[in-house]
Amino acid sequence: MAIKPSLPLALFLALAVLPLLLGLGYALAYSLGIIGYGAEGLTLAHWRAVLGSAYFWRTLAFSFYIALVTISLAVGVAMALAVAWPRAFRRGSLSLFIYFPLAIPAIVMAFFIFQLLSGGGLVSRLSWQAGLISGLEQFPGLVNDRWGIGIILAHFLMAAPFFTILFARLYASERAEALVLLARTLGAGPRQAAFRVVVPVLLRRVFPTIVLYGLFVMGAYEAPLLLGRQTSQMVSVLAVQKLQRFNLGDIPQAYVICLAYAAIVLTLAAWLLGRERARG
Amino acid sequence: MLLHAVDITKRYGREDVLRAAGLHLQSGEMLSILGRSGSGKTTLLKILAGLEAPDSGQVFLEGRDISGLPPNLRGIVYLYQEPLLFPHLNVFENIAFGLRLRHLPRQDVNARVTQLLDNLELPGHAGKMPHQLSGGQRQRVAFGRALAVQPKVLLLDEPFGALDAETRASMQVLLQQITRQYGITGIFVTHGIKEAIVVGSRIALMRDGGLKAYETIQAFIDDPTTGVRDEMDFWKGLS
Amino acid sequence: MAGRFLKYAFIALLLFPFAFLLMLSFGRGWGYPHVFPEQWTLENWRFILESQAGLGHSVLLSLLVSLGVAVPVTLASFWVSRAVSYSPYRRRWLVLAYLPYVLAPVVLAACLQAFFFRGGLSGKVWGVMAAQLFITFPYGVIFFSGFWNRRMQAMEQLVATLGGSRAQAYIRVLIPVAREALMTCFFQIFLISWFEYGLTTLIGVGKVQTLTLKVFQYVNEANIFLAALAGCLLVLPPVVLLWLNRRYVFSGAGGR
Repeated sequence: MAIKPSLPLALFLALAVLPLLLGLGYALAYSLGIIGYGAEGLTLAHWRAVLGSAYFWRTLAFSFYIALVTISLAVGVAMALAVAWPRAFRRGSLSLFIYFPLAIPAIVMAFFIFQLLSGGGLVSRLSWQAGLISGLEQFPGLVNDRWGIGIILAHFLMAAPFFTILFARLYASERAEALVLLARTLGAGPRQAAFRVVVPVLLRRVFPTIVLYGLFVMGAYEAPLLLGRQTSQMVSVLAVQKLQRFNLGDIPQAYVICLAYAAIVLTLAAWLLGRERARG
Repeated sequence: MLLHAVDITKRYGREDVLRAAGLHLQSGEMLSILGRSGSGKTTLLKILAGLEAPDSGQVFLEGRDISGLPPNLRGIVYLYQEPLLFPHLNVFENIAFGLRLRHLPRQDVNARVTQLLDNLELPGHAGKMPHQLSGGQRQRVAFGRALAVQPKVLLLDEPFGALDAETRASMQVLLQQITRQYGITGIFVTHGIKEAIVVGSRIALMRDGGLKAYETIQAFIDDPTTGVRDEMDFWKGLS
Repeated sequence: MAGRFLKYAFIALLLFPFAFLLMLSFGRGWGYPHVFPEQWTLENWRFILESQAGLGHSVLLSLLVSLGVAVPVTLASFWVSRAVSYSPYRRRWLVLAYLPYVLAPVVLAACLQAFFFRGGLSGKVWGVMAAQLFITFPYGVIFFSGFWNRRMQAMEQLVATLGGSRAQAYIRVLIPVAREALMTCFFQIFLISWFEYGLTTLIGVGKVQTLTLKVFQYVNEANIFLAALAGCLLVLPPVVLLWLNRRYVFSGAGGR
C-alpha cells in the first residue's frame, strides 16, 4: 500500500526535531557571542571561560558519579531481588506494591528524603529517641552533603523498583527458568546458574535501558536542587543557576554548559542506538 | 478470461524479484503456484491485490485494466499465511466484517454468515473470540471472512504454512470442496508439491522471477525440472 | 516463615513514603525530637478549597495542563508513529525521536526559553503546554513504534482487500485493536506532564503554578505540612492508575 509520507513526517520534524535544532542553534549562537544582551560579536571567550574552569569539570564529574553510583546500586539490588524472588514480582501483593514508588515524582521523592534524612528529619529524631545522639547537630549530614548521598538515595528509590519490574518481566519472557534448569543439567550449581546464566542474559537485554536511565540521572534537576549543595552541583542545576543570575554576563556561559552537556548525552544516545541497530 | 497479468516487473534494490512475469486465469479455476521461498510469489500476489505497485506491467480483471485501482476497489481478497483474525471481534463478526463494511441489511448478513459457518464446519463457534480457537479453526474463519464478500479472485499465500500435518491435510480437502462449491476463482501459493496438486486445478512454477504455467497437471508431472519425478521415484523405491 | 516476614517488611518499606507524607499532611507543629506531629488537624486539607492562593487552583491547573497535553499528543503520535514505523528509514527516524527524549527537559527549556519569550508564550499556560508537547510527543512516537508492526500492517492491508477504505480501517480495526495501547500512552504522557517541574518553571517563569511548583514553593517557605499535602495530591492520580492497571504507570516502553 502506498504510504503518503509527507504530512505526518513533516509534523514529526516540526514537533520532535525542529525544537531541538532551534534550541541548540540558539544556545550555540549565544555562547559564541553572536546574539544576546551585550553580544560583541564572534568570540570563544565564554567557551574558554567554562572549559577552563575546574568547577565546570567537577560538576560534570559529579553528575557522572551520581549517575554511575545510583544506577549500579539500583541494578544490583533489582537483580538480586528478581533472582531471589523470581515469581513474587509477577504474582501476589508484591507484584502490585513494587510499582508504588513509581507513582512518586522526583520533587516529592526529594522532599521525602529531606524530611527523612536531614538533621531535623525522622531518622535523626528516632536516633535521639533511641539515645544514639543528643542533638540534631550530631546527626551526620546525609542531605546537602559532599557526596550527594541524599541525591543518590532519592534516585535509587525510583530506579530500583523500575529495574526490579523490568528484570522480573524479562525473567519470564527470556525463559530464564528453563535456562536455569538447562544449566543445572549441564552441571552448574545454583550460584553458577544465577551468575553465569541469568545475570548475563538479563543484563544483556537491559543494557540500553541502563544507559538511558543513567543519562536521565545525569541530567536530573529536582533532586539535586533540593538535596544538593553549592560546592558540588549537578550539571542541570548549574546551567539553570547561571541562566537565572542577575549578572547577564553569565548567560552565555550557561549556554556553553547546556551545549557541553547536550553534546555528551546526545553522542552517547546516538552511539547506543546505532549499536542497537547494528545488532538488529 | 477473468484475470490477466502481463509483463509484471519488480525490483527491490538491486534484486530483480519479478521479471516480466505473466499469468492468466479462467473463471472457476484454482491455480497453484509453486516456488521456493523468496522466489517472488508473495510479491506477485500483492501486486495482483493492489497492495504493492509493480515497476512495470499491467493487471486486467474481466478485461478492464485495474493497474491503478486501490486494493479496496478491486474485489480481490489476499489472505496471509497467518489467519490475522481481528482480535476485538468474535467469530461471527469476523466473518461478517466485509459485509458490515458494505452496510448490508442485517438479515442478509445473518443468513450469509450462518451458511458459511455451516459450510466451514464451525457451527457453535459463532460467539467465540479468536484466541479461543485452534489454528485450523482460525484459518477456517479467515476463509469465511474472505468468502463472505464474494471476491472475484481469492489469493491464498501459503495459508496452511503454520498448521500441523494432520490439520493441514484436512484443510486442503476442505478448501478444495469449498472453492468448488462457491465457484471460487483463485491463486494458491505453496512450496509443497502435493498440496499444489491437491488444491489446484492447474499448476504454475515460479522460477527466476518468471512464471511457467502447465496446461495440465500431467504436463507438470512430466517436466523433469520440477522434481516431481524424483519424489515419485523415491516413494516407489520404498514400497 | 522468614521469607514471608521479609516480604511483608519489604511491602511496608515500599509503602512507607506514602504513610509518611500522609502523616505530615495532617500535622501541625513537629518540634525536634518528636517523632509524630504534635497536633493532628484537617486544617491543611481544608486549605485546598480556599480560593486565594489555595491548592485547589493548582490542582485544577495541573489537571488542565496534563489533559491538554496528553490528549493531542496521544492522538498525534499514534498517527505520526505509523508513518515513521512504516517508513523505509524507520530506525533513523526513531533515533531522531530519542534525542529530545534523552535530553534533560530543563536543559531543553533553557535553550528554548528565548523563543517562548519572543512568541509571548512564557509565563502562559499555553506556553507550558507547548513546551511539554515537545518532550512528550517524541515519547509517544517511540511508544507506538512497537504497535505499528508487520502484523498491524498486514491487518490494515487485509481490510483494504476486503473492500474497506482507509477511514474504515481506522474506525473498525486499528483504533479498536489499539485501544489498550492508546489508553496506556495517554496515561503515561499525562504522568510525564503531571510530574514535570524544571521545564514548567523555566517556560512558565514561575507564574504557571502547577502542583510540582507548589511543592517547591512550600519547601522554600519551610511549610512542610503543606508541602506534604501537595505531595499527596501529586501522588494520588498515579496511585489510582496503578490500581486500575499497572501498565498505565509503567509499560517498559521507552525506559522512563
